[in-house]
Amino acid sequence: MSNVYSPTDPRFAHLGPEKFRLRQTDAVLLDAKFETKPIGFFRDAAMRFAKSKISIVALIAISIIGFMAIVGPYMTPYGYNDQNLDYINLPPKIPALARFGIFQGTRVLQNRRVDALSDTSRYPEGSIIRIDNRRVMGGVELCDVTVDYYRYMGIDDDVYFLFGTDYLGRDLWTRVWRGTRVSLIIAIVSVICNVSIGLVYGSIAGYYGGSIDMTMMRITEIIDAMPDVVVVTLFILYFGSGLISIILALAVKNWIGTARMIRGQFYRFKNHEYVLAARTLGANDARLMFRHILPNSIGPIITRAMIAIPSAIFTESFLAYIGLGIRAPESSIGVLLSEGQKVLLYYPEQTFFPAVIISILMIGFNLLSNGLRDAFDPTQRGTE
Amino acid sequence: MVITLFIIITIGFMVIRLMPGSMYADDADMTAAQMEILRAKYHLDKPIPVQYGIFLRDLVLKGDWGTSIKMYIGVPVFDVLKMKIPVSMYNNLFSLLISLPIGVLLGIIAAVRKNSIVDYTTSFMVVIFISVPSFIFATLLQYYAAFRSGWFPIIYEASATGFAKLHSLTLPIIALSLGPIARVTRYLRAELAETINSDFMLLARTKGLTEAQAILRHGIRNSLVPLANVVIPMFTHIMSGSMVIERIFSIPGMGGLMVSSINNTDYPLTLAVLIFYSVVSLVTVLVVDLAYGVIDPRIRIGGRHIE
Amino acid sequence: MVEKERPILSVDDLSVSFRTYGGRVQAVRGVSFDLYKGETLAIVGESGSGKSVTIKAILGVLPKNGRIDAGSILYNGEDLAKFREKDFHKIRGKKISLVFQDPFSSLNPIMIVGKQITEALTLSLGMDKDKAKARALELLHAVGIPDPETRFYQYPFQLSGGMRQRIVIAIALASDPEILICDEPTTALDVTIQARILDLIKEIKAQRKLSIIFITHDLGVVANMADRIAVMYAGKIVEMGTSEDIFYRPAHPYTWALLSSIPDLDTKEELVSIPGSPPNMISPPKGDAFAVRNKYALELDFEEEPPMFRISDTHFAATWLLHPNAPKVEMPEILAERIRRYAEEKLANAR
Repeated sequence: MSNVYSPTDPRFAHLGPEKFRLRQTDAVLLDAKFETKPIGFFRDAAMRFAKSKISIVALIAISIIGFMAIVGPYMTPYGYNDQNLDYINLPPKIPALARFGIFQGTRVLQNRRVDALSDTSRYPEGSIIRIDNRRVMGGVELCDVTVDYYRYMGIDDDVYFLFGTDYLGRDLWTRVWRGTRVSLIIAIVSVICNVSIGLVYGSIAGYYGGSIDMTMMRITEIIDAMPDVVVVTLFILYFGSGLISIILALAVKNWIGTARMIRGQFYRFKNHEYVLAARTLGANDARLMFRHILPNSIGPIITRAMIAIPSAIFTESFLAYIGLGIRAPESSIGVLLSEGQKVLLYYPEQTFFPAVIISILMIGFNLLSNGLRDAFDPTQRGTE
Repeated sequence: MVITLFIIITIGFMVIRLMPGSMYADDADMTAAQMEILRAKYHLDKPIPVQYGIFLRDLVLKGDWGTSIKMYIGVPVFDVLKMKIPVSMYNNLFSLLISLPIGVLLGIIAAVRKNSIVDYTTSFMVVIFISVPSFIFATLLQYYAAFRSGWFPIIYEASATGFAKLHSLTLPIIALSLGPIARVTRYLRAELAETINSDFMLLARTKGLTEAQAILRHGIRNSLVPLANVVIPMFTHIMSGSMVIERIFSIPGMGGLMVSSINNTDYPLTLAVLIFYSVVSLVTVLVVDLAYGVIDPRIRIGGRHIE
Repeated sequence: MVEKERPILSVDDLSVSFRTYGGRVQAVRGVSFDLYKGETLAIVGESGSGKSVTIKAILGVLPKNGRIDAGSILYNGEDLAKFREKDFHKIRGKKISLVFQDPFSSLNPIMIVGKQITEALTLSLGMDKDKAKARALELLHAVGIPDPETRFYQYPFQLSGGMRQRIVIAIALASDPEILICDEPTTALDVTIQARILDLIKEIKAQRKLSIIFITHDLGVVANMADRIAVMYAGKIVEMGTSEDIFYRPAHPYTWALLSSIPDLDTKEELVSIPGSPPNMISPPKGDAFAVRNKYALELDFEEEPPMFRISDTHFAATWLLHPNAPKVEMPEILAERIRRYAEEKLANAR
């Protein structure tokens, strides 16, 4: 055994007798007190949330898109349904970025006759930027021409469309942000409905338990067994594809998950001593439910809501895609994507912007909900 | 289960029949007499409960799903489905069958190499593939892998068979599978990472198994048990995703049928499609329940027998 | 009494730390002990004292964020502290086995118990299946499981806690190890089952001439089991001696506190608890880690860590109270009283 005491060890030579005084024989030794201030639940969660860089980035990205969804449509002089047949299918032209060589409003026209290039009635002055790929086919010399499409179409230089225009000459900038706004409104309102229904339903089932609970859970099981597609389709068939009916259709199945979660929380907490204590002090049912039990579930509820938003956005665009959702001329991300899809091979840029926005929103909300879940419940960290 | 199906059929029938407007309202050319004949032929002149009774009787006793009244006039609905179902199922099952092994494999790699570059890369891809909807990938693939590079056909070639058919379905299947792969990966990574830290894995190692043997024999099978939980939502996800994908790649499957039957107010067809989707998802639930029993002895043997 | 021969396992100055978000946790700080053939060494300490970490280091199954900082673990002339994962395969299970604390979680829930026993034999020893099964049945019988043929094909959830712990012991014995490490093998079991499992371990030890390291937080459990006892606190061994040394002549204030906190039918006084909680092992305090909770702490305890003081050939304790200059401090009266009573009882039993 190492480190055994021996009186000759130089390490212990300096120990004088004054060191060998009993120090706390009479002191009352108590369990250590916690001297730090208690941190509130939300501050604690917020602190943990702020530590996660990814969540912050996601929050910022969502905020920017949310902000643009509010102000974006007013930033150009065009309305979301202003059609102008002179301006159809224009490419994006962003003056601020033009000098970096992107979004200059150019487009490549393929297989053009070389001999027609000097015809200013077809190619107005200054519209031709580059000529590539000259070749002779069947005795005719062909080439690919990169043109300033705005000049090519005979549009004034000071006219520009940041995201281009669609097949009716509508400004896509305005339509994209308006579509984002519509999609976000649908998603958020449907999630609010979903959470409210789930909250009330789950609270009642969880609080009263017994046969009430049994019956209520049976009902949810039946609804849950129906495939989403079928439920949503039937709902929209019956109530039409208005904004309200889409919002409700998105909530019609999703509230079940929320209700189950809330019910689970109630079962967990309703027999805790503090609830019994409140009951003996005369708190009524509503007070017990909403003041004493429910606050424990606030973290999971917020997390769940955040997860539900991207899935609502997805379902909305899914519905628009298959023609059951929002209908043109109103705009939504789904409408834009499905319109863009039709001309994808010719004008891919019309799909590009809505695709990027929905992707950022979906990734953002998913990351945000991960961050929130970790913040509210650190024990769940790392599990999905 | 049968009860659920019955409820779905009932609700579906009622909703479709109670829809505002007559089924022939837009056929202005028809005379009132002609319309009456048609209505009588399809029992539309009777009260709805009677119609429902007739429908159920035919369905259960004769296996008769009725006939299409708008899109494929006179063709039994069942024949229309028989034509469309294989195309959709080919896609959906293929996608499910490739997603599971790939996802499981990636999940295992990520869990075993937890907190390594591989793990971080996988996690990053997982977030992207879970978040971004399948139709965005479909659009991207269609534009780049088909239109720009010409590697794959832009749309489905209905006449193709064998390998050529698979070739023309490659892009839709990839687009459909990315999300499910990511889901399986994420789930298995979490599950396996937890299993690896469990006591019985430690026991397996202390009794002399190598780490690889322990993970293979104890870790993976145990993490596969709860995987069944994600398979159900995954398959319904694939099915709804495929409705859009079919549209993008012009695949003549169930998704397109449902949309066009709704738009053409061909109600017997719509109802049949809805029933089809319900049956498929109920069968999925059943299959998963059975699979649970095979994998997990606690369910197979049931109950706790303590001496 | 164990004879002074060469120890089969010798741990010297072992230090283990873990990387955590808060910093490096120094879980084990210079632990030394020897294990002799055929003896049972009990390591006693409260949770977080580093006893489980010590045995995980011996078996090479530290979590990924843990590492051995210093020290050696000599077994058969080889230093396990320097072993790599593949070197451990010839040791784990075959020479040194482990019995876990919780039989509910240490068996794979979806594999029949027989297979869990045989796979150690077939996979790492290359035994053929029939032989392995015969051996497994023999083991099941040896650990006192009735009707081994039936049990062989059952799943863990069909067995009771005591049964499962017997299975875990059978697994540990499968390849005839020299050393059996028991990590709180009875904590998760009912009291009546506890005694039976302890008897089983004693019996097996005698039959197979095993050396056992027995980890527990409960001094009461080891009283009848251990030949020698090491008391751990905050990653260090604070007192070590034969069972008699520790129970009849305890010298460290922490051991006093532990002994006084054992419930006892004859003690009329209120149970004595140890005030405070173990120190934060990210930055262990200077001096003696137990000083702040110690009624008998000296000035020096707050400045300098005490070395091991030798009390007898078998008995060591790390407290400055044993220094020649220290004031004479007697153990608490309640404990002295108890020890007198034990000694009398023992004497009476001997007659």
